[in-house]
Amino acid sequence: MLQAHSLLWNYLWVGPNLLLLVLAWLLWHRKIYRRIPVFFVFAIVSALGDIAVFVADVTPSVSPVNFWRVDWAYLLTENLVKFVVIGEVFSQVLKPYPSVSHLGRIVVSGVGAVLVVLALLVAAFSPGDSSVHLISGAHLLEQIVFTVELGLILVIFLFGAYFHLAWDRLSFGILLGFGISSCGHLAGWAISANAAPSPHGRVLLDFLDMATHHICVLIWCYFLLIPKRTSIARPLSASGDAVESHKEHLEVWNQELERLLHQ
Amino acid sequence: MTLAIILVVGAALGLILILGVTVSRGLQRAGRDRQQIQPIDVEAFRNLVDAAEDEYLRRRLPASEFRRVQRERLRATAAYIQVAGRNAAVLAVIGQEALASGNAATAEAARQLIDNALLLRRNASFALLRIYLALAWPRSNRTASGVLRGYERLNGCAMLLGRLQNPAVPVRIAAGI
Repeated sequence: MLQAHSLLWNYLWVGPNLLLLVLAWLLWHRKIYRRIPVFFVFAIVSALGDIAVFVADVTPSVSPVNFWRVDWAYLLTENLVKFVVIGEVFSQVLKPYPSVSHLGRIVVSGVGAVLVVLALLVAAFSPGDSSVHLISGAHLLEQIVFTVELGLILVIFLFGAYFHLAWDRLSFGILLGFGISSCGHLAGWAISANAAPSPHGRVLLDFLDMATHHICVLIWCYFLLIPKRTSIARPLSASGDAVESHKEHLEVWNQELERLLHQ
Repeated sequence: MTLAIILVVGAALGLILILGVTVSRGLQRAGRDRQQIQPIDVEAFRNLVDAAEDEYLRRRLPASEFRRVQRERLRATAAYIQVAGRNAAVLAVIGQEALASGNAATAEAARQLIDNALLLRRNASFALLRIYLALAWPRSNRTASGVLRGYERLNGCAMLLGRLQNPAVPVRIAAGI
């Protein structure tokens, strides 16, 4: 079952991409794409690109060199759009908070620049897993991209958590998907590019890679298509507990004020 | 191989962190990890960041003694700033909850409270950083005066929101004045 080109292999390669196309269609149909236009483009580009790589893999007339050229084109396009999506999501998270949006942009830009340098340095010390540059280069590119992506997503999550920013469901779901995907992919590509796994080990890593992508697509479907029970940006309705707790906080604050005013 | 291990460990830690943030966000929504506002002795805080007080101590104490005292004062200031930053975070959450109000005035007050709370939290972080640096060579303790002003501004916003949401309590404050 865990063999290259088995039924499970083919399903994990094609299935999530078809699901991603269905997700894109539903985003269009429900007009959700207007709120996340770049992610909408990403879903289509990523799904079609990966299907094109699959077709190149199973078509006998496509030479190995041409297969890797298709893979390179897909990698470059998908990753470019992916970083624009991350930027779009972060802008949406910061939009309601002008007092920290400038700081947020500086932090993410600065950390992003450091991450790129670090990832390039790590790649420079990586031995590579093939004498063919077209192949080892693709694997190293994946390693660089996922290192930078994971770092950026962690910074965004930590920034939001530190300032207690309220995330809207779409932004949170998109970043959570990318975050989990970058962890799984980074681990896989790091082993692939640096640890010289056996051919069977390589196939298992491909399964890990594709399974992670599938989980990521399911997370996006859940967050983007299933409506939230309570709003995140406007989280609590006037339920009894919330109001009581709210009043309690303001009362403590007001007591402090009262003491301050008497001084 | 070493690089592979480092990157795999990094990815695993990243995954733990992302899942941690996701779980804590879920708990926050369920209202189970609510933090409380901790009272701050504003007068003592003001004394700590008072430039005249610094100058007085500088004139009265020998240099080494002044540095020792100033380090103590900086540590105390840092403790106040940490509490002010945490209070700001609690108020930011309260403001976000209040945004749901259908009342335009309450929503606007909530927006102002969030803005000021985040500004204070940001300034508190920078002030803490400066204090930890100043601990190496303590001279003045004025790094935190901006935080104190922000804290007092936040008072106004919290009071306004409190008045709009729960009129009974601010009336008591007005009577106190």
